[in-house]
Amino acid sequence: MTINPDLKYTKSHEWVKEEDGVAVVGITDFAQDALGDVVFVNLPEAGDEVVAGESFGDVESVKAVSDLVSPVSGIVQAVNEELIDAPEMLNSDPYGAWIIKVEQVNDRETLLDADDYEAFCAEEG
Amino acid sequence: MSELKRTVLYNAHVAAGATMVDFGGWEMPIQYPSGIVAEHLYTRKCCGIFDVSHMGRLLIEGPDRTRFLQHVLTSNVQSLELNKAQYCIIPNENGGAVDDAYLYQFEEERYLLVVNASNTDKDLAWLAPIVKDYDCRIRNITGETISIAVQGPESGKMLAKLAGVEEVTKPARNNLSILDMEGHQVWVARTGYTGEPIGYEIFLKNEDADWAWKRLLELGARPAGLGARDTLRMEAMLPLYGDEMGIDEEGKEMPIFGLALARFAVSFDEAKGEFIGREALAKQAAAQTAFREKRGTEADLAALPRRVRPIALLDRGVMRHGMDVYYNGEKVGYVTSATMIPYYMTEGEGPDARLLEQTGKRAIGICYIKSDVPTGGQVEVDVRGKRLKAIIPLKHVTNNQPPYVIPVLAK
Repeated sequence: MTINPDLKYTKSHEWVKEEDGVAVVGITDFAQDALGDVVFVNLPEAGDEVVAGESFGDVESVKAVSDLVSPVSGIVQAVNEELIDAPEMLNSDPYGAWIIKVEQVNDRETLLDADDYEAFCAEEG
Repeated sequence: MSELKRTVLYNAHVAAGATMVDFGGWEMPIQYPSGIVAEHLYTRKCCGIFDVSHMGRLLIEGPDRTRFLQHVLTSNVQSLELNKAQYCIIPNENGGAVDDAYLYQFEEERYLLVVNASNTDKDLAWLAPIVKDYDCRIRNITGETISIAVQGPESGKMLAKLAGVEEVTKPARNNLSILDMEGHQVWVARTGYTGEPIGYEIFLKNEDADWAWKRLLELGARPAGLGARDTLRMEAMLPLYGDEMGIDEEGKEMPIFGLALARFAVSFDEAKGEFIGREALAKQAAAQTAFREKRGTEADLAALPRRVRPIALLDRGVMRHGMDVYYNGEKVGYVTSATMIPYYMTEGEGPDARLLEQTGKRAIGICYIKSDVPTGGQVEVDVRGKRLKAIIPLKHVTNNQPPYVIPVLAK
């Protein structure tokens, strides 16, 4: 399992990277591995409001469906529309295939750094 | 909680990096590192091998064996010739299913009955008081033997190579043979649960398990887990006990003739005579015929309220087990099994069909809906609060012309 040292993480296995007031959000390698083949992503639309700790969409694998939980509160600036036709990018490149970008960030979940997230994953097995 | 059982191939699965899960009391591989989609596609294009040793293998022996099976199974056991197999259901008096099963006659003096892993104990308990009245016995050989499903266009060639023969069985479904493969005795059945027009299930002694698994991998087969087994059988509209037969979401018994393939599993032949559930099944059969001929009445609906049908999502999304299905605004049933299922795009038809490199995926599955919903009917599925458009197609694949399964895409 890979963990990117430059990102922050949630306990629901999303990653987030904040740069110039914009939060980029995706799912972690641990999450994609647990899901298996991702076959569909239900995305919000630009302009939608997201709330830290609440679902902003879902990701479906052959086996199961899993909520996408926003690490931050704000307004969706952009969604990665490549995922509509190629959801498997979340398996092949979890830290490259971002899902949403959030602007006007005004609140955050408790975020873990890479070391703490690694320890958390080890506990979850 | 009792300890999970393991098949003899457990170590091979773990060594291959499989994700192991509890399935019917057995610790089984749900997928290998390549994933369900790749395993599904490889089976359709070349050959997947599945450890199905968890399934119950019962030998029925003794002078009354045929008469006993005629009474407890739906099929005409007397018509089963040596080296042939038949699909059948273990019915109850109401025309519901205790289990579905496959009956094999590899040897003149006994039958092999293969049942679902999770139902093996239940089936044995169901059959025990009945078999007492017959001069025959049931011997459970699940623990002494293993079974591997070898499925896909290349499966026959691989087994033929191991046996040093041209063809391992006669070239049609349900043919059997007993062969020597590199010094190991292998029971070979042209049967399977993937919809592949070319596919086999082999039965071996425990000590031959590692040899068979290793040799098939060397010949180019790849392991496939329960996840791919499920998507393959859904695409081919093969029922799974617990989803498409047994008890429905309301706790009601699902009639056997709710399944289209009941027509091939249930015999009302004179030679078969009386058997468990015959009367109820005859009523269901008449109702099924009426609905298939588009002349079902209210009386037919009473005999057969719902049927198991294919369903294909037209809107974007994924259907899952338990989602409600609506027709003309009325709830008519629910999705029994569904997910997103991959397929190879194809060119040509029948024996000339060719698989292209490109793949697609589609949200399809199986539903249990009111019997009078017509084929081609547009329905809606409640996908987590959203009503999405779907259709009841005739089928998801064409698989009666080897070597390939050809997807039939819903429009």
